[in-house]
Amino acid sequence: MKNLAEITQMTEKNSANKQTVIESKLLCRHFGQGDTLVKALDNANLTIEKGEFTAIIGPSGSGKSTLLQLIGGLDNPSSGDVFLDNKNISHMTGTQLSDFRRDHIGFIFQSYNLIPVLSARENIEYIMLLQDVSTSERQKRVDMIMHAVGLEGLGERRPAELSGGQQQRVAVARAMVSKPSIILADEPTANLDSKTGADLLDMMKELNEQQNMTFVFSTHDPKIMERARRIIRLVDGRIVDDERRD
Amino acid sequence: MTNHSIQQLAHQNDSTFNSNGLVARLAKRSIFRNTRRTVLTVFLISCSLAAILFTDSFVRGMVGSMIKISTQTFLGEGQIHLQGFRAANDIDLYIKNDELLFQKLDAIKEIKAYAPRVLSGAMTSSSENVASAIVYGVDAIKEAQVSKLKQAMIQGNYLSGLEGEILLGNRLADLLEVSLGDRLVVTVSEANGGDLSQALFRVSGLFSFNERNMDNGMVFINLSQGQQLLNIDGVHEVALRLEELNQADDKSLSFWQELNTEQLETLRWQALVPQLNSMLAMTKYSTLIVSVIMYILVALGLINTMFMSIFERQTEFGILLAIGTRPKQLFLQIILEGFFIGLLSVLAGLLLAFIFCYWGSVTGIDYSDIEMTGMTLNEPIYLILDVFSFAQMGIATLGVIVIACLYPAMHAARLQPSFAMRKTH
Repeated sequence: MKNLAEITQMTEKNSANKQTVIESKLLCRHFGQGDTLVKALDNANLTIEKGEFTAIIGPSGSGKSTLLQLIGGLDNPSSGDVFLDNKNISHMTGTQLSDFRRDHIGFIFQSYNLIPVLSARENIEYIMLLQDVSTSERQKRVDMIMHAVGLEGLGERRPAELSGGQQQRVAVARAMVSKPSIILADEPTANLDSKTGADLLDMMKELNEQQNMTFVFSTHDPKIMERARRIIRLVDGRIVDDERRD
Repeated sequence: MTNHSIQQLAHQNDSTFNSNGLVARLAKRSIFRNTRRTVLTVFLISCSLAAILFTDSFVRGMVGSMIKISTQTFLGEGQIHLQGFRAANDIDLYIKNDELLFQKLDAIKEIKAYAPRVLSGAMTSSSENVASAIVYGVDAIKEAQVSKLKQAMIQGNYLSGLEGEILLGNRLADLLEVSLGDRLVVTVSEANGGDLSQALFRVSGLFSFNERNMDNGMVFINLSQGQQLLNIDGVHEVALRLEELNQADDKSLSFWQELNTEQLETLRWQALVPQLNSMLAMTKYSTLIVSVIMYILVALGLINTMFMSIFERQTEFGILLAIGTRPKQLFLQIILEGFFIGLLSVLAGLLLAFIFCYWGSVTGIDYSDIEMTGMTLNEPIYLILDVFSFAQMGIATLGVIVIACLYPAMHAARLQPSFAMRKTH
């Protein structure tokens, strides 16, 4: 197992001459205090470049989801800083963070998490509506992404009328349609059967290669690990390994 | 303006519509996510609003009835006395030049009718019993235009102007054990000296105003005989019937000033029966208190509903915030959800209230024989629908609902996405 200094050095070395989209410095997230203090994440230093297809792995409770939430601005760190597109998001207000997430980050969650009262098409165009994208541009982009993820003809269905795989495709389309810098996916295949999961991963891999979009996964799924070009291993809230497969 | 700036403006308008429309669309659809809960909430609010409006209409009707009963039964909308008569209750204080006053009253267009009266405390004696009463000498024709004495007759005949006629309340007749045609002696003190004066009457009619004090303690004789009995050449009291009841509320009308002179005191019904006026003011406060209690219940019910809805959808709110919804947009969404529920409730409440109040305004609610502040409600209370009140209560309910939603909306807007998603997972 490599020590923290080695990993940091290795990460910095690997990132030389590349465009950094995510950077965390001495990132900590602690819960409770005194005897009940839990260090969900402890001094995590991490740099992710544009176009990476990265998997964060580790046993349950190792801090994968916490790390993903912190770099996605969904939670506030106990200490340390997170830089996304060279902007420190650790001290942003709620509205600033919302705007930043809207414009720079796409999220895919384990339980699909679509808005049940909106149709598939409305779910996909939701972020663009928040971004005040014009109607014609929205329609164009939604049509394109629905074609890309294989959801043609299902646009008017509500989430409850779609299968798990179809819902996760909608979630992927929603995350990608606004062209964010990074897509953060928290166990996106956990609720899917293996074939549906594999198909979805192939689709994401293809989009990553075609559009040079950055993907960061938190996962236990070997299928994701097989496809990932970089694997970061977490144990007890610490990054213990950072393997590249370029 | 260049083509480019026009396009920019058009795009801006389109975009503004999009984000506002999105929040409204989400709010509108979300209220029917749990239809049963929404329907129950709408039912609670609409029933409360209908109850408030029904109470308000009932109170308006009751106030109207009480004023009508009080003024039209016998009192009149105003009365004229000689200065000091009411305070001293002295029969010597009577209006002497009454003909001059009557000419003046005939010329006032707001006065529909008037009834001159003489009155005094008296002893009434039958062959069986003795009782005290107030004897009124009235002009039979004019009295019928002002009071309901003629309509209150239950036996015998109304006064015709013949000497020796006397009308008794049915309760007093029972006490004196007299019936139609029986003899009755009335004893009074004469004016200007106080000598006793007696006259023999034959019971020509029995009346019932359905009010204990009147039926127990009033007798009516013809005005001329009353004047003769009391040895006066004038009247003690002139009761006024106005063209419109609300003219009694308007102190600025010139005739009120004209009829109040150094010699004459003219009072509106509000001053003649101040206890009724106070009771009516108190009734309005009680409506306000009922409304406040109802609004508090509505607000608490709605806060409960909104919080249940928010807790159920906590993950969804976490997701909405995670993908870029601003806290204030989430705040607006909850407020709009409350507003839409409120709008449905207010429409349903107004409809419900209209149905019940309209029914009450047509059929009336029977309160016969129930006595309130010394007055018997001897006719049904007809509810009064007031459009302004309906609009006011509807808007107030909507306002209370929106205010009640502020707390749940603030709670939702302050959610931290990671916490919200973790909470329900």
